[in-house]
Amino acid sequence: MTTDALLVGTDLHKAYGPTPALAGASLSLRAGEIVAVMGPSGSGKSTLLHCLAGIVAPDTGSVTYAGRAVDRMSDVERSALRRADFGFIFQFGQLVPELTCLENVALPLRLDGMKRRAAEARAADWLVQLEVSDVAHKLPGQISGGQGQRVAVARSLVTRPAVIFADEPTGALDSLNGEKVMQLLTTAARDTRAAVVLVTHEPRVAAYADREVVVRDGAARDLTRVDVAGRAA
Amino acid sequence: MRVARWGPDLLLGARMALAGGRSGLVRAALTALGVGLGVALLLTAVSIPAMMQARDDRGAARDDLSYEPPIPQADNTVLVGWAESRFGDQPIRGRVLRPEGPRAPVPPGLAALPRPGEVVVSPALGRLLASPEGALLRDRLAYPVVGTIADEGLLGPTELAFYLGSDDLTATDGMVIRRDHFGEVNTREGLDPVLALLVVIIFVVLLLPVGLFVASAIRFGGESRDRRLAGVRLVGADVGMARRIAAGEAGLSALLGVAVGFGLFYLGRSFVGGISALNISVFPSDLRPDPLLSLAIAVAVPAAAIGVTIMSLRRVVIEPLGVVRRGGDAKRRLWWRLVLPVLGLALLAPLTGSLTQESGTLNQTQVTIGVCLILVGVATLLPWVVQAVVRRLRGGPVPWQLAIRRLQLDGSTSARAVTGIAVAVAGAIGLQMLFASVEGNYQASTGQDPGRAQIAVNMVLRNGWTDVAAIEARLRDAPGVLGARSYSSAPLTFPASPEQRALGGEDPMSSLTIASCDTIRELTEASTCADGDVFLVPDPTRPADETPAAGTTVRIRSYDDVAPGAAWTLPTTARTVTARTDPGGGSLTGVLATPSAVPAAVRDGLDTYQGYLRVDPARADVADQVRNAAWQVNPLGTVSVLSRFVETNRFTQIRRGLYIGAALTLLLIGASLLVTMLEQLRDRRRLLAALVAFGTRRRTLAWSILWQSAVPVMLGLVLATAAGLTLGTVLLRIVNETVSVDWGIIATMSGLAAGVVLLVTALSTPVLFRLMRADGLRTE
Repeated sequence: MTTDALLVGTDLHKAYGPTPALAGASLSLRAGEIVAVMGPSGSGKSTLLHCLAGIVAPDTGSVTYAGRAVDRMSDVERSALRRADFGFIFQFGQLVPELTCLENVALPLRLDGMKRRAAEARAADWLVQLEVSDVAHKLPGQISGGQGQRVAVARSLVTRPAVIFADEPTGALDSLNGEKVMQLLTTAARDTRAAVVLVTHEPRVAAYADREVVVRDGAARDLTRVDVAGRAA
Repeated sequence: MRVARWGPDLLLGARMALAGGRSGLVRAALTALGVGLGVALLLTAVSIPAMMQARDDRGAARDDLSYEPPIPQADNTVLVGWAESRFGDQPIRGRVLRPEGPRAPVPPGLAALPRPGEVVVSPALGRLLASPEGALLRDRLAYPVVGTIADEGLLGPTELAFYLGSDDLTATDGMVIRRDHFGEVNTREGLDPVLALLVVIIFVVLLLPVGLFVASAIRFGGESRDRRLAGVRLVGADVGMARRIAAGEAGLSALLGVAVGFGLFYLGRSFVGGISALNISVFPSDLRPDPLLSLAIAVAVPAAAIGVTIMSLRRVVIEPLGVVRRGGDAKRRLWWRLVLPVLGLALLAPLTGSLTQESGTLNQTQVTIGVCLILVGVATLLPWVVQAVVRRLRGGPVPWQLAIRRLQLDGSTSARAVTGIAVAVAGAIGLQMLFASVEGNYQASTGQDPGRAQIAVNMVLRNGWTDVAAIEARLRDAPGVLGARSYSSAPLTFPASPEQRALGGEDPMSSLTIASCDTIRELTEASTCADGDVFLVPDPTRPADETPAAGTTVRIRSYDDVAPGAAWTLPTTARTVTARTDPGGGSLTGVLATPSAVPAAVRDGLDTYQGYLRVDPARADVADQVRNAAWQVNPLGTVSVLSRFVETNRFTQIRRGLYIGAALTLLLIGASLLVTMLEQLRDRRRLLAALVAFGTRRRTLAWSILWQSAVPVMLGLVLATAAGLTLGTVLLRIVNETVSVDWGIIATMSGLAAGVVLLVTALSTPVLFRLMRADGLRTE
């Protein structure tokens, strides 16, 4: 663990009823760093991501972001933090089906109080960068899965977050589209100096990360780090 | 061949309705409950004719009014005295019974006639008398209770009624009738054409939303069903098979709903005996749904479920790869949606001016179909209106944008959910217009003046004028009574004039009233009065020679008109004055005299006491205190609270029926909206969690959901108001009434409907917040 860490989770425990999901997991992340969190199904990868992102509170342990204790923040403060500093990508995109792609990308900005025109102008730029400007005015149901995931990546980047949490971002895509999405995501993240927590069980996807963290046995008791810095650069 | 495929496909669908583990069972249970609620209400509706018939039959069987000539006393007769009373706002049916021989008839519900001084009470009256609330009534009915009136002697389980045994009741004690049997006289008024129209419309207005609710309940779980159908397509089902499987699912859920509905109906029926709404109660055994209509419901609901499902799948493309793509919210056509209300208007228009209270025959079929078409027109127009309006809406804050875009993508789900409210409001507005306008015809002005006196007491006297002072004193002693004016009357006759005799006329009849000078000044325009004065008050509506002149010898007639009454020659000093309307709305004419002007024998022949009381309005139980005091004097006396208006009984009952029905319908629609909203939320669980993950505020989503319901509801209310006003105007033209709009009613109905939406949103908010947890993001 380094002292210039941007996001640090320490000794995190989390249980859903009688089932432990995290049991002493720790992870630190530097600014601009891309970390792949790997492990088998049910190992606690997503729970670790949710704890780090302040979506759920750990039962014990601490999460600090830029020196601020996330686990001690109120729900309102954590929501504000996620709106302003974090971005999210999920396996199935989770775009709002009734909003156009442009409106979906602009949504986090609007939730943060930006006027519609300004938000949509910035969203349009990101759609261009993610090479999906042609679907800007289409509904998510009218585009392909790969296009949808690229729109989701644009949505995660539009607020210029310091950290992007990506939970199986290529899980629902074929290999070609998966590669494309990962290239665009990592390129954009490096361009904006955003750190990325990348939950995946695919080594091919993990190869885009600076380093890998393996969560094992479903209880995350044994966190193994493999420093692979520079490999995907 | 295609028909042969239906059976297996429907069966497969039926099996799938219960498959899918807990969520599948929850979905099937919600649908069954929704359909069941509708079916239970429909069964209640088709039970109403039998229920009314049963009440009428029991009422007729115990009827003791007779329009036959009086019958002589015999060993099989009984004197029945009417001791009608009230306790608070509850009417009490009371009868005093004096058997005149060993074979005296026994009213239905009684094993035997009560002995003198003993009382048999209805179960509800028994409970009231035994309760702390009945303390004041115990003072009135302070008799040993020796039995309970059985169901066959009561209109309903909460009716307050008693039979009091007597050995001194006489035919002259008041409203006393000699009977040798009970029943057989049916005094049912029958509905006049206008009231019949009201009843028909109430049924249509209340039952149409129930039908819409059932149709809506069948579509519960539509989105998850679509995903299942996609799975079926994946393993080789073609589009037709998928639709038939969906129809099978809906059919089974509807069948379960029918079973639940019958169960709810019979379960609810067992509790109905304890419920009294606006003084109307029914025995559980009275609620007997018509067998043919019950069968029709049991068959039609599943059939409609299959039909609705197949219709709803027309624009859904089910593809095998787990993807369900709607053909988009295609632009709706207006023309056929307008055909229905226009047809309805065309059916009703020819009936303009065809009905009045007294004449005209209601063509029930034509009216029912016409009203139905107009109201169904609201249901069919609403999705078009919602689509046409929301597609033009742009911009706004995030919650508004989310809601509007959702409506633009698929407005029909929300529109369908509020259709029931729109139809109910449109019908209710139309109906209320009709009510408000014809209300005056059914509200009789009593002419009573509660400003001068608030309570009137009337009873028969046994000892003439001698009793009056004692009665007045007793009434004055009742707590809350501030003052009293009393008088006593009797009919009189006097010799016909030679002209009257020449025409073959009998001796004319008039009346004698004895009162104090204070009371005489209250009842006439006499400017001066002193004890010993006599006044002649002509009836302006009758010939002058029907009022005796001064110096005429008049003869009092007794109450039973058998014994000859005392004679009295009117003093020549008698003055003619004009009558003044009394607080009870009548006017006394004939001879008015102060007590000392009248010979004692004549005073003793007076048989009627009338008192007007001024009471303390702040004392809530004053009427019951007066009733108690009057009861001590004569149980057959009547005590009336004076009021400027009185509604005719039938009108009151119909309006009560409307309010009860409207409340049930709104509750049902509220339940439907709630289930629909919860289902929508459940289907969007993952999206909600994702939105929360990137920092969406809870209130943003809560507002979005409120707007999503409120916009269609607002549009529905606008449409409903327009349709309601149109319907009301047409109905008023049918009954020849002036068209006037009561905006207060419209505001109330709209407010009620909006209240239902707010309530539903409030009830679904906890679920929304629960679904916004991160659990929704878990995929493993």
